[in-house]
Amino acid sequence: MKILVVVSQTQDTEAKIKVSSSGDSVDTGGMKWIMNPYDEFAVEEAIQTKEKHGGEVVIVSMGPARVVETIRQALAMGADSAIHIADDSFADIDSFAVGKVIASEIKKSGEFDIIFTGMKIIDEESGQVGVQIAEELGIPHVSLVSKVVEIDPAAKKAVCQKEIDGGHMVVEVQLPCLITCPDAMNEPRYASLPGIMKAKKKPLKEVPVADIGLEEIGLTADSLGKAGARVKTVEIKVPEIQRKLKIIKGQDEPMVKGAEVESAAEELVKLLREEAKVI
Amino acid sequence: MSSEIWVVADLKIDGSIRQVTFEALSEAKARLAAKFGGPVCGVLLGANVSSLAGELGKYGAEKVYVVENETLKDFNTEGYTIALSELIKKHQPAVVITGNTVFGQDYFPGVAARVGAGVTMDAIEVDATDDKKLQIKRFSHSSKAIPTKLFLDHYPMMTTVRPNSFKAVEDPKTPEVINEAVTIDPGDIKTKVIEIKAKESDRPELTEADRVGSGGRGLGSEENFKHVYELADILGAAVGATRAAVDAGYCPYDMQVGQTGKAVSPNLYIAIAISGSVQHFAGMGSSKVIVAINKDPEAPIFQKCDYGIVGDLFDVLPPFTARVKSLLSQS
Repeated sequence: MKILVVVSQTQDTEAKIKVSSSGDSVDTGGMKWIMNPYDEFAVEEAIQTKEKHGGEVVIVSMGPARVVETIRQALAMGADSAIHIADDSFADIDSFAVGKVIASEIKKSGEFDIIFTGMKIIDEESGQVGVQIAEELGIPHVSLVSKVVEIDPAAKKAVCQKEIDGGHMVVEVQLPCLITCPDAMNEPRYASLPGIMKAKKKPLKEVPVADIGLEEIGLTADSLGKAGARVKTVEIKVPEIQRKLKIIKGQDEPMVKGAEVESAAEELVKLLREEAKVI
Repeated sequence: MSSEIWVVADLKIDGSIRQVTFEALSEAKARLAAKFGGPVCGVLLGANVSSLAGELGKYGAEKVYVVENETLKDFNTEGYTIALSELIKKHQPAVVITGNTVFGQDYFPGVAARVGAGVTMDAIEVDATDDKKLQIKRFSHSSKAIPTKLFLDHYPMMTTVRPNSFKAVEDPKTPEVINEAVTIDPGDIKTKVIEIKAKESDRPELTEADRVGSGGRGLGSEENFKHVYELADILGAAVGATRAAVDAGYCPYDMQVGQTGKAVSPNLYIAIAISGSVQHFAGMGSSKVIVAINKDPEAPIFQKCDYGIVGDLFDVLPPFTARVKSLLSQS
């Protein structure tokens, strides 16, 4: 099987978020760049699929030079080769154009059986690029797959389970297809030291933006930046929700104990009824 | 481009309309109708859905487009994508909205790519500029930031909206029902639903619930989660859990609230034995009132909640639950 994984690099959102001086983006200075956590599940699922059915795992990633570090991480986990669509001008690109560019590069790389990608990127949190890649490629997708039940390469089909609002659903999908991965589906492996060594020698193809052929896919050079986008960020705020912080504690030590428990419960119920008016 | 604002109905497994649809109709009416100068319209995609048009009218839909097609009986990505894309191409609405449900997330971006529209996901505010551009706010960066997204010169402008973000307000209209025949070639359907099963539960769904009781790893076992269920059932609340509690096997993944898992914004969120990680807050930080019960006074949640008790849940929860029960049985 030929298995592709679309991987993104993202800012580590554990960090404190600061708005840049322009007011319309997040200040990334000093922030750590990591593999999008959902994409780790996608890489793991791809490697497990290869271990079961044989074949190769190819990483596809788009972004400036720093993205190579994330690509190497995926290769160290066990992927075989990678395609890096490289250009700094992608910084302000919107998801519509991202989907088109990645899909066009995938088309050029030949036949494939299945594509895995994370359900969303933790910085933008939109979750639309994967679906849009599938649409551009004209292949079916199954989003938010909690479990790949079965892949049958000979019959060209896969069976996937997904959790839906109020229940679950099992879907049979024709290959080639794209699957988006939430976090419950597997346990991503760590890259081993030999894996990291080997990753350095694995093939990594650089595709400069000039080679993409933007007109052919219905984009202009502008649409890689803000000018040609369909949606742009005009402002970004770090919300400060003022919480009441009314915390009931014990007299002698922080924890309420003994008789304090009853009065604490009573006080909390009173606050919720009379002040917050939520019960 | 017409001046119509469309809200595509989100249907539950049992075929009824989700609350988020009514919320979206009301918000579209309040924020967008005057700016775009057009009516708010409902869209129904499915099999045997025509009878639901009146319900959309109740919340202000002046027109309802209906696609009845056996292929759309259960949600399937290609069927919905084809049906909505064809409708959009034919009628060219200005704005198209649906709920940010599992289904909405699944097909809306694909429709946008197919019709060449811009799309945003999970909006918590919708508005428009004077020159008829949709402008929305949403969460990003683990819900630590709120970007404002402005749509540029491409129509339609599409967005999904987060359930429980807007108020559904009745505004009864008798909608004009427009039946649209869309041909869906069975060969275009490449995903087939082989099983669809509703979870058997009398509790409300997490994403729609007005109140949520949620437990963390501190519960210690699946068995102990009964304390959370008991309180939730008295409150008519949905039950959620942290990733740590799910990973420990105390509850199934579909109960997980957080960055990975479901995003909720109820009026009341009661966090029991939850420390309050960044990832958990990414899924519930927009709740109106947050209550914490935790024995660790240093738990981050005590810096980010409205009310709390520092105490052992096994001491505090039973008397708290009993008092809530007696209060609610009086009123």
